[in-house]
Order: sequence, then C-alpha cells, then structure tokens
Amino acid sequence: MTEGNYRHLYVVMEHEEGKLIPVSLEMLGEARRLMDKFNKTYSSEEKVVAIILGHNVRELCQDLIYYGADYVIYADSPELEYVRNLTYTKVISQIACDKDLAKKVSEKYSDQFKKPRYMFFAADSVGRHLSSTVLVELESGLASDINKLVVEDIEITHQHKTNGKPIKYEKILGMYRPDFSGFLWTLILCLDNKNPSIEREYHPQACSIIPGVFEPLENDTSRKGEIIEYHPKLEPQDLKVKILSRKIVKSAIDFSRYKVIVSFGRGIKESPEENIKLIEEFAKELDAAIGVSLPISKKPYSVSERRSSTYMISDRVIGTSGKKVAPLLYVAVGISGAMQHIAGIKESDVVVAINPDENAPIKDECDVFIKGRMEDVIPNLIEELRKQQPKIRA
Amino acid sequence: MDLSKEDFNDTFQKSLNVAVIVKLEPDFSEGSVTYNPDGTLNRAETKNTLGPHSAVAVNAAFYAKVKYDARVAISTMGPPIAEMALQQAQLISSADELHLYSDRIFGGADTLATAEVLKTGVQKMQGKMDIVFSGHRASDGETGQTGPQTAWKLGFPFLGDVIDYEINLDTRSVKAKRLITLQGFYDIIEEVEAPLPVFITIHPSYRPLFKTVSERLAFEKYQKEAKKRSSNYKQYLKIFNSEQLGLADLSLVGLPGSPTIVYKVERIPKGKANRNAEVVDGTNSEALRNVVLKMQEARSRMVIR
Repeated sequence: MTEGNYRHLYVVMEHEEGKLIPVSLEMLGEARRLMDKFNKTYSSEEKVVAIILGHNVRELCQDLIYYGADYVIYADSPELEYVRNLTYTKVISQIACDKDLAKKVSEKYSDQFKKPRYMFFAADSVGRHLSSTVLVELESGLASDINKLVVEDIEITHQHKTNGKPIKYEKILGMYRPDFSGFLWTLILCLDNKNPSIEREYHPQACSIIPGVFEPLENDTSRKGEIIEYHPKLEPQDLKVKILSRKIVKSAIDFSRYKVIVSFGRGIKESPEENIKLIEEFAKELDAAIGVSLPISKKPYSVSERRSSTYMISDRVIGTSGKKVAPLLYVAVGISGAMQHIAGIKESDVVVAINPDENAPIKDECDVFIKGRMEDVIPNLIEELRKQQPKIRA
Repeated sequence: MDLSKEDFNDTFQKSLNVAVIVKLEPDFSEGSVTYNPDGTLNRAETKNTLGPHSAVAVNAAFYAKVKYDARVAISTMGPPIAEMALQQAQLISSADELHLYSDRIFGGADTLATAEVLKTGVQKMQGKMDIVFSGHRASDGETGQTGPQTAWKLGFPFLGDVIDYEINLDTRSVKAKRLITLQGFYDIIEEVEAPLPVFITIHPSYRPLFKTVSERLAFEKYQKEAKKRSSNYKQYLKIFNSEQLGLADLSLVGLPGSPTIVYKVERIPKGKANRNAEVVDGTNSEALRNVVLKMQEARSRMVIR
C-alpha cells in the first residue's frame, strides 16, 4: 500500500421528501470532528466528502457543506429518485472508485487513488443494506450499528492479520459497537492482511452509524466547500427493479401521541404474565402508551400469545435500536438502564424508575427512583392514582 | 376454488426453486437463556435454536411451497450442531434439501467471508435458484449484513424488509412489499417488481396467508410431510467441507477472508449522571402518594413543543 491509494472519508447521505434524514447530518458532524483531528495529526490533505444521490438533489448540497462537508459529490437522475439497492450500490461504488472525482477533491496522490480510506452509512433500513452491498463491491470490511469512533495508530499482534508478529497499523478507524445488552462495547477494526501468505488490502474501513447518537454541527453558512456533479453510468440491468408504488403508513404504535409512556424490561421475569397485566392496568390509569426495552423484543419469557404479539415486538422498543421518545412523564419499570435505552428517553420531562436494585444505571437517569419490586409498588401506585383522580378532574 | 383448472395445471407445471439461508442462534427464551451477573449473555450455558428471524424466512419459503409448489432448500454455515437449525427449518417448510457448510477453516469468519461460503453453497444446490431468502438479522450478531452481502455475491437483486410477496410464474417475476423505516419520518410501504432471480430478506412482521381452499389443502399436506421429513432429516442432509464445496480461493473464507476483527470487548463506562434522583422507599405509602402527585403534575403540564 502506498500513501495515495486510500484517501478521504466518504459519507453516504439519505433524504426523503426533499429533506435530509437527521442521521445524515449527525454522520457529517462526527465525520468533521474526526477529520479535523486527522487533519491536525496526520495530513491536511484528506477531506470529508458527502455523497448524495437522488432526483432534484442539487438544492440539498449547499447545506451539506454548511453542516461539515468539504466536498459534496451528487448524482441526479430520475432513475435515482428513490433508493433501489441495486442501482444505488452501482452508483455509490462508481463514485467511491473514481480517480477523477478524487482528483477534484485533492490533487495530491490522486493518480494513485483506489478507494476511500473510510466510509460512513446510516444504520437504518436504507443504509444498512446499502453499506452491506457496497462493501462487497469494494471488497472490504464493514461494522454495523456503531456509536463511538476514533482514529489512531495501533500496534496489532494477530494470528492471521500479522502472522503473530507485532505490526503498527496507522490511521485505523476504531469502530465501537454496543452489544444487545447495552453494557458491552465491541471494538471492531478493519485491517489489511499483512501476513505474507495471505496478503490483502482491506479499504475502505467502513461502518453504519446508529441514528440519534452523534450531534450534528451548527449550520454555519460561512463554511466553504465545493459541489461536484457525477454522471452515473447505468446499464439496463442495473435498473431492473421497478418501484410500483410508495405509501406512507403511520406506525401501529405512535408514542408521540401520548403524554405518558410506561415501559418495562427484564424486571418482569418473576411472573411475566401477571406483571404485564399489572403494567397494562397501571398504564391505563395514566393514559399511557406501553414501551419495552430491547431484550423484551426477543420474547425471553413465555406469556400468552396476545401479550407476546402485542408487547414483545421490535415496534415497541424504546432506545437507539428502536424509537426515541420525549413524553411529559416516562416510567421505567424493571429496566436497568442500558446506554441504548437511556439515549431513547433522555428528552423526557420527568423520568420515574421502579427497580429493586439501587445500583442499576437507571438511577442516574431518573428524577424519582422508587426502590422496590414492581409487584409491590405498582398496585399501591394504581390505588393512589385512583384516589387522586377525582381531585384532578374536579 | 380461485384457480380455474387450466390455471391450476399451468401453475403447477412451472417450477420454482427457493433457498433459505438460516442461522443457529442462542435461544433467548426463559429457561434456555443464561445471563452472566453483569447482564451479558452467557454463551456457554445458553441453549441454541433456529434463530427467530431465520424461522420467519423459512415460513416465507413454505409459502412458496404451498402456493407455487416450490422446491425448498435450506442452508447454514456453522459447526456440526448447526444441523439442528436445519432440522427445525425442515419441520417448518418440508424442505427438499438441507445443506450444512462446516469446516474449521470457516471459523472466525466475519460477514464478508460468511457470504462467500453461503454464495458458493447456494450455487451447489439442485437446480438454479429463483429466490433466496434470509432473515432480517440474527438475534445474537444483529448486523443484518450477511443476507445482502450474499445477494451481491450471487449477483441477485436484493430486496430487503419484505412483508409480502407474490410470484408470477408466467413472467418469472416477483412483486414484493417492503417496509422502510427512517428516523423522524413516517414508515413507507414500497411495492417493487423485479425479474427472478432475487434475494429477499423477510421482515419480522411477515405472516403468510393462505386464502383459497386449494392452498389450505396444500398447506395441510405439506405440514404432514414436513413432520415426516424432519423426523428423518439426515436423509435430506448434505454436509460440505471447504474442499467438497469446491471453494476456488480459500483466502476468501474464514479468518483470512475477513477484513474485520473484534479487537477487544470492554464494558461501556457509566456516563455521568444526567439526572439527580430522589430515592423513594417502595414500601412507604406516604412517599408513594407524593410520587403519584408528582406524576399527575408532570402529565397535566401544558407544553408547547
């Protein structure tokens, strides 16, 4: 590998109905922060490059610069109006490997350019698939659902990658992925094989980023950048998936319509059926929607078919792997408070937690911590709610 | 019956080959799952099962068997015990062919290297595949990458998050409904059409529906057959090591073929407290009364957002 083969951070934007999806700007913000540091530590020649595909997308490009991109590469065509995995994978891969585009971004080493150094996608129903297929096309590695990123030099000793010898890898993107429990981080690296018997270069180092994790930058209209148009080369076979219709549907569970949300986690485990019933009653008194923590969506307990199919589903999950909510009152029942869950509730006005374990992380994320078992606490709360109800109504 | 006799014959004279890629996963149900004291999954103690999303994909293949008389093949990559997932999948789908790709050198593979094995395996199945299904994502790894990556390696157009599909055997094409969920937007149901072959990942909310009498009869017939077959699953099972698969380039599978490594696993440090909790004793009814007052106050607040 020579210095010029792999350069810049390419970030794949998403938009819908002429508006950028928030995660696009969040990714740009994080890209800017990482590359500011990169520019200081290593080289000022490598840039944040936003890629945007669509129809009539030119007007979105300037904003991408105000939000942190150095360059915006856009492709505009009626064929790109909606995301089709096949078509988009082709075009994004073409852009990522295009020497002329790289030359416009930076003259230096542009004749050696092969592929981007880093690449970001959104971890949603568009980016998750696109990142997978693009990275097969680019023959490199991908980490999904990332919520922390660093760039650093790391000395690696790995049986396969380095043949068991210590080798220093430079400018490595450390991609941190929370596991499903929310308490562990897996640090994923995408590394060239430097073992002589299986030598291979793996670039770009790519990941998909969880929506709602990183802060976007302030819109700064004094920020300068360049917008470049790319004319994609599409064959008829790249267009063989046809979109017949698109309909907007409102989610079956619309948390935003409720002032109060009661959600439950693994704390229901002692008697799941009865406890869910108790939570239903409690939620009814509060006129609340019912949410769940991620582990509950994996149907860990056997309960009646109705309760299982009503509550133990991903549609009800609150947190970064589900929905972000902002009710006036959030009651967390038997939820320990994994980081992913907290990220989904932090905009709530008042948070009440019911939990027997005072060491649970939720204690630092609530306004009232009721120490106790839900089986004991909730009936008392229900009774008290019923007593107080008439007064409120009067 | 909805189908005329001609239509009926016509339908059943046209063959359809479908495959499903499945995964053996930790069983997260109570009694099977064990957690470490720190809340993480205890893999050694936890039982394994056909992954729930894999099962949904197998259901989608069974739909093709009932409705279009499709030939069904199921495959997985994993250690020898992964054949358990194949047996469970056969019980759902009455599969005609079961593939297990098992070799020490496949161990430690990331999604790219896994997709290489699965692609090679699908190409070794009897007949040319018209549709390959996979689950939405595994409940342990949860990357959701292996499906689309296998699709791209096969050269099949990829349709993700499919909640419903119909095949037209005359035009050899598929119509599918996809559920698209984007941050801060309403969900979108998109209807697409594509010529076969395609690769489909099935959304967890998928439920097959058998409307006509003939479909319901076929459903019962194949369900009986599925029981019989899966009790005798080894007869349908083929196990392939790397050599038997005929992998052209062994550096594309296992650890050498995996660009990514898990460098380390660490505890996520506890963030600084964002709120200052008032701790209330859950057995003190006076204290609970005050909490309820606070809750009532919170929810009756007027807010303009």
